[in-house]
Amino acid sequence: MTEGIQNVSKPQIKVENLNLWYGEKQALKNVSMHIPRNSITALIGPSGCGKSTFIRCLNRMNDLINNCRIEGKVTIESNNIYGPDVDVVDLRKSVGMVFQKPNPFPMSIYDNVAYGPRIHGANRKDLDGIVEQALHSAAIWDEVSDRLKSPALSLSGGQQQRLCIARTLAVKPKIILFDEPTSALDPISTLRIEDLTMNLKKDYTIVIVTHNMQQAARISDYTGFFLMGELIEFGQTKQIFQNPREKSTEDYITGRFG
Amino acid sequence: MELNADVKESDHKATRVQGGLNFRLNAKTSEKIAFAFLGLSVLIVVGFVLVILAYIVYNGYNAINIGFLTEMPRLMMTQGGIYPAIVGTLYLIIGSMTVALPVGVMVAIYLNEYAGETRTTWLIEMAINNLAGTPSVVFGLFGLALFVKYFGFGPSLLSSSLTLSLLILPVIIRATEEALLTVPKEYRESSLALGVSKWQTIRHVVLPAAIPGIVTGSVLSIGRVAGETAPILFTGVAYFLPRLPDSVYSQFMALPYHLFVLATAGTNIAKTRSIQYGTALVLLIIVLGLNLVAVLIRRHYRKKLKV
Repeated sequence: MTEGIQNVSKPQIKVENLNLWYGEKQALKNVSMHIPRNSITALIGPSGCGKSTFIRCLNRMNDLINNCRIEGKVTIESNNIYGPDVDVVDLRKSVGMVFQKPNPFPMSIYDNVAYGPRIHGANRKDLDGIVEQALHSAAIWDEVSDRLKSPALSLSGGQQQRLCIARTLAVKPKIILFDEPTSALDPISTLRIEDLTMNLKKDYTIVIVTHNMQQAARISDYTGFFLMGELIEFGQTKQIFQNPREKSTEDYITGRFG
Repeated sequence: MELNADVKESDHKATRVQGGLNFRLNAKTSEKIAFAFLGLSVLIVVGFVLVILAYIVYNGYNAINIGFLTEMPRLMMTQGGIYPAIVGTLYLIIGSMTVALPVGVMVAIYLNEYAGETRTTWLIEMAINNLAGTPSVVFGLFGLALFVKYFGFGPSLLSSSLTLSLLILPVIIRATEEALLTVPKEYRESSLALGVSKWQTIRHVVLPAAIPGIVTGSVLSIGRVAGETAPILFTGVAYFLPRLPDSVYSQFMALPYHLFVLATAGTNIAKTRSIQYGTALVLLIIVLGLNLVAVLIRRHYRKKLKV
């Protein structure tokens, strides 16, 4: 879809003619999208429209699903991530992901954040600094600095989600994918996460799937609207919300369906 | 019209019959009856366990003293202790667990985490299920043919331990698979999304979360190793051997077989009655003790995992 191609001078993520099937069922149809560096791109659309499936193509999480077949091209920093010599483990180091349900490991707060760097061979004496910095960036340091050794599962839902963001940041990715990160949280925690993502965009490229249209309008620079596996419209958030080109985009945004 | 009326009448009859039987219980009554049956079942089970335990303790506790636990059998096993049988059973537990636990856990990890849902996997699962249902005497014969004869280990601790490890392998595999299944998919996903490889994810996140379940399964199999007679009968247990095994190629005594010998083939069955019950009691205590250890291990890991 040409609508997906933006006039972005140096897109960091380039998706071209992406098709995806779960067995016989086609979940993504010919999706093309250019996502610029250091921006927030929101993906909206009704349940089952393919937005989560799409975001999981960007760090190849769909590889984990049996009989999932992908065609097309996804380029990140001019590397085809579906190329034959790509190491998926390395890809996921540079493309982090935060999930819908806060899912810290059953370990201490410290160990959760240190988990990634530790396995990737961080120096033991650097670890404290990495953990502290990640917790600072995820805006949760002040709440947990005095109890880093207590279990992560003792935190509230919103805190757990920010801890998961810190865990992702500690691996030092370039891109962070958010898959409906606030749908399990209360409004105040949601706002904190939104503020956080807006702060993070100066260092990271952010792609966020959301059910919440106000959220997309509040935080994103670009918005893509998915329907039945197709990217119906993609553009600057202002334009999508104030002056959508497609009738179905307008219908969805104004709440006529979805 | 006539037909219609007929239908109506039969309908009416049906309701009347139902009403006549009046067999529909109200919720409260059915709740009470169900509760009574369920509670009764529990009482029967607990009752039998307690009776068996009490019977063995009552008849056996007189036999137990330091000498009984630390001395060799004397005078055709009518006097003295059961020390070699205790040691033999402990060796069997250690030997078979050393083999079966790592292999079983690795098989379960492979089947659950790596193998896809293919026909081959299905066949392997079927084979494991069948292995679990095979009578233990068949394992004994198999152990005799393979370990004792073909590999030439002779009737020995080694042959018996290997035979027993085959017997408990399916139990450990099943338990580990169940435990792995209870580890939330989210743990795996979020670890992989951090650029952590599959094996590292299994080692650092999945296995620690599965340990309580694995321990439970292992304990069940320890109980079997301690109690089985048929598999060791063919592969190495001795009728009477007043010394400890000095290598893995030695024969050995074991508690369940010693009990069997005393009770059925001893030189003076009536005279050894209290030794028999004492032996049973020791066997029970060993199994219960190991159960307790496992519960403690499980609780330790649960505490570490949960809040």
